[in-house]
Amino acid sequence: MSIITKLFRYRPLGSDTRASKNVAKERLKLALTYDRSGLARGAIEQLGDEIIRLIAKHLEINEEDVQINFDRTTESDKLTASIPLNIVQRPRVTAEPAPAAQKSQRTKKSHSKRRRRPRHAH
Amino acid sequence: MAGHVITVTSGKGGVGKTTFSANVSAALAMQGKKTIAVDTDVGLRNLDIIMGLENRIVYDLVDVVEGRCQLRKACIRDKRIDKLHLLPAAQTRDKTAVSPDSMEKVCAELRHLFDYIIIDSPAGIERGFQNAVAGADEVVIISTPHVSSIRDADRVVGLLEAAEKQCIRLVANRLQIELVKRGDMLDIADMLDILSIDLLGVIPEDEYIVISGNRGELASANPDSKAGKAYQNIARRILGEDVPLMALDESKGLFKRLTGLFKHA
Repeated sequence: MSIITKLFRYRPLGSDTRASKNVAKERLKLALTYDRSGLARGAIEQLGDEIIRLIAKHLEINEEDVQINFDRTTESDKLTASIPLNIVQRPRVTAEPAPAAQKSQRTKKSHSKRRRRPRHAH
Repeated sequence: MAGHVITVTSGKGGVGKTTFSANVSAALAMQGKKTIAVDTDVGLRNLDIIMGLENRIVYDLVDVVEGRCQLRKACIRDKRIDKLHLLPAAQTRDKTAVSPDSMEKVCAELRHLFDYIIIDSPAGIERGFQNAVAGADEVVIISTPHVSSIRDADRVVGLLEAAEKQCIRLVANRLQIELVKRGDMLDIADMLDILSIDLLGVIPEDEYIVISGNRGELASANPDSKAGKAYQNIARRILGEDVPLMALDESKGLFKRLTGLFKHA
């Protein structure tokens, strides 16, 4: 990579080699998740920052590994926060590795043709 | 027999609602159904000019709603395609001249006079859209395979579901098979996956749409037009026939075969 491209923090134009329709599909699904909820993506991220600050007041946390996820399914809407803590180390128990077990690959479930759409905020 | 009201909407502007409304109305008429296309884009009327009927307008939808004329008098009979009619919009007013209630009354009256009533909705989700869907028995959403169009279509579907409209179907418009093959255009499966509604039909990009608009002719009346064929198939599906989706693949013409040969020389 040349010096010039290294200076940019985002990908240079044209460097994403995926088929463009797949990029479109991914972007749309993400955009629509937020559109349908009535929440703005930027607002969720700000909310995440506030949660981190609040918890950091009371506990030692590993800020870089914090994950805030907003998930919508037909059954429920969830905001999930995963916050790794830095607590005084104590000996950890590790599980014995399974003896030469066959690890089966879970095949992707086929989607039913007609999916129910997530509820809309109106 | 009471008529059936189908509203054609999209959210996004310029995706083909008016062209669809005109062509599918004509196709239904050609199948023997007494059909009227209704323009609800008050202030920005276009259904009349696409159908080539712009010189025949005397009264319009607003005249009917405001009681200046009987509904029958405002309906224009197309002299070239039997059983096809148009109720034009006003050009010098705006969408506040009509309300959802007055549209429901107009639709109720139209159901006595016609087998099929195709309502061409304006773009947007404001008053014009609300007027257009007020009397709808079913709604057709037009979307092209572009991020902006699909996003807007999704919003519209959400609004329609909230209003408890029962039958909402997608028409995927302006598909370009070469771009789809290269992975540079979303295909029908992608659009259905994202929008999660039933599919009514698919219409390929077709130069003849430009030409027919210029002439005030309709593609569905032209047996050589691929888009025209798609509109006819959609009309037949509306009438309950099980018509398989058209293959959008263009068979290679002689010229293309020859250039293919030269490449390997």
